[in-house]
Amino acid sequence: MKSIVVCKDLWKSYHQRPRIGFKELLVKRKTVGQNRFSREWALRDVTFSVERGKAFGIIGHNGTGKSTLLGLLLGTLVPDKGRISITGRVASLLELGAGFHPELSGRDNVFLYGAILGMTLKEIRRVFQQIVEFSELGDAIETPLRTYSSGMITRLGFSTIIHAPADVLLIDEVLGVGDARFQEKCKDYLIDFRKRNGTLVIVSHDMAALEEMCDDGVCLNMGSAACIGPMSEVIRHYQGLVHAAQSSTEVGLS
Amino acid sequence: MELLYLLVLKDLKVRYKSSVLGYIWALANPFAFAFVYWVAFKFIMRVEMENYSIFLITGMFPWIWLSTSIIQSTRVFQVNSSLVKKVNLNRAVLPLSIVVGETVHFLFALPVIVIFLAMAGGQFVHLSWIWQIPLLILTQVVFVYPLALMFSIANVFVHDIEYLVGVAFSMLFFATPMVYPISMVPQEYRPYSEASPLHALIQAWRTVLMDGTVHDQYVLYCLVWGSVFSVAAFLMYRRLRHRLGELL
Repeated sequence: MKSIVVCKDLWKSYHQRPRIGFKELLVKRKTVGQNRFSREWALRDVTFSVERGKAFGIIGHNGTGKSTLLGLLLGTLVPDKGRISITGRVASLLELGAGFHPELSGRDNVFLYGAILGMTLKEIRRVFQQIVEFSELGDAIETPLRTYSSGMITRLGFSTIIHAPADVLLIDEVLGVGDARFQEKCKDYLIDFRKRNGTLVIVSHDMAALEEMCDDGVCLNMGSAACIGPMSEVIRHYQGLVHAAQSSTEVGLS
Repeated sequence: MELLYLLVLKDLKVRYKSSVLGYIWALANPFAFAFVYWVAFKFIMRVEMENYSIFLITGMFPWIWLSTSIIQSTRVFQVNSSLVKKVNLNRAVLPLSIVVGETVHFLFALPVIVIFLAMAGGQFVHLSWIWQIPLLILTQVVFVYPLALMFSIANVFVHDIEYLVGVAFSMLFFATPMVYPISMVPQEYRPYSEASPLHALIQAWRTVLMDGTVHDQYVLYCLVWGSVFSVAAFLMYRRLRHRLGELL
């Protein structure tokens, strides 16, 4: 099997003083001391690859570089060192409905969002009916988005993204979309997506869902890959880290 | 390309849909400005000039198109930060959608300008507009878009740019012969006024709208500046686009 996603020796750092301006010059904010955001490298030498049709999970504490890794895979960020290659189209469920406008109808928003995701008008027209059906919005598709509940908006966002042609789907904590029934539907869809040889990269804190969905995974710790391998093993490693952190704080308290 | 079309469509729909008098409000702004200056300079300061009201109107609409395009573009990456951070799209399209949206908006306002010219008397429709107006629109977009792109990128790095741009445009409004003819500028300062590409652009619009004649030197001058800006904007975008996602 050929790997569809390859990351080799990825290094990524953010600049210490990201923004300069008169305010910063005048106020002379003290440089932030030693906290986890001022660390030099957000990602340190991360290497992995994902084969076509597999699901890959990414876990780790907050601020250990999970979102950075997804940004790199998506192409919104560029690595300082290392190489990423992805064969095929990438779609992201990083943020459902980025670019939705509340004053526009659901229909207009689907077209706008579809175009933002890189679909052509023709492609959107072809799948529009399916999007509406999957989102279960019915006639509400013609009313402005501001009248929607937040569940309806995420449903519409999710439905639009999954109808964009993609070989690799990046998912960031959006497995909990809508009510329980819709979540089931999403899960079914993702399983079906994999059957059609689609590849998933999932960031989540929901260990049960990850264990169920993913074949392999990586556990990030302070930007480095602490453990790469079969998902169940990676989860065990992560739980070990969590326990270690807990017991060390307990020791510190006592 | 289709993304651009849909983004522009979104802006226009939102603008004209959200309030009952959307179109009227969009026109009211330049007219109100023109009216205020007309009162202030015609009646109070007593500017001696024929057709002063037409002079104001024909300059005001292109000016507002130009300045709103750039001022709004400057904030575009902040306003759409989720699109920059969470979706992989060509980021240069965001300021372009603003500039194109403002252009369409200007086109909607053109008939009103013509009605105004008609009320002021004289020959108000020129057949030569068929090619002159598209030429000037093209010139203006070539001139404005690179500036809009450069300011929008710069504003991500130095947040104060958006305020500086706002102040700069209110100053430029008076520095450019907008509410007064260039003949009123003292002789020794006139070369500076004439060197301003903004003056050339506004003057080009005036001659076209008022007389139906194109002054080649104005248009060429704007195009030269536009090309310089384009090269600079292209280099800047190529160098800095990858860092936009990190800083928002």
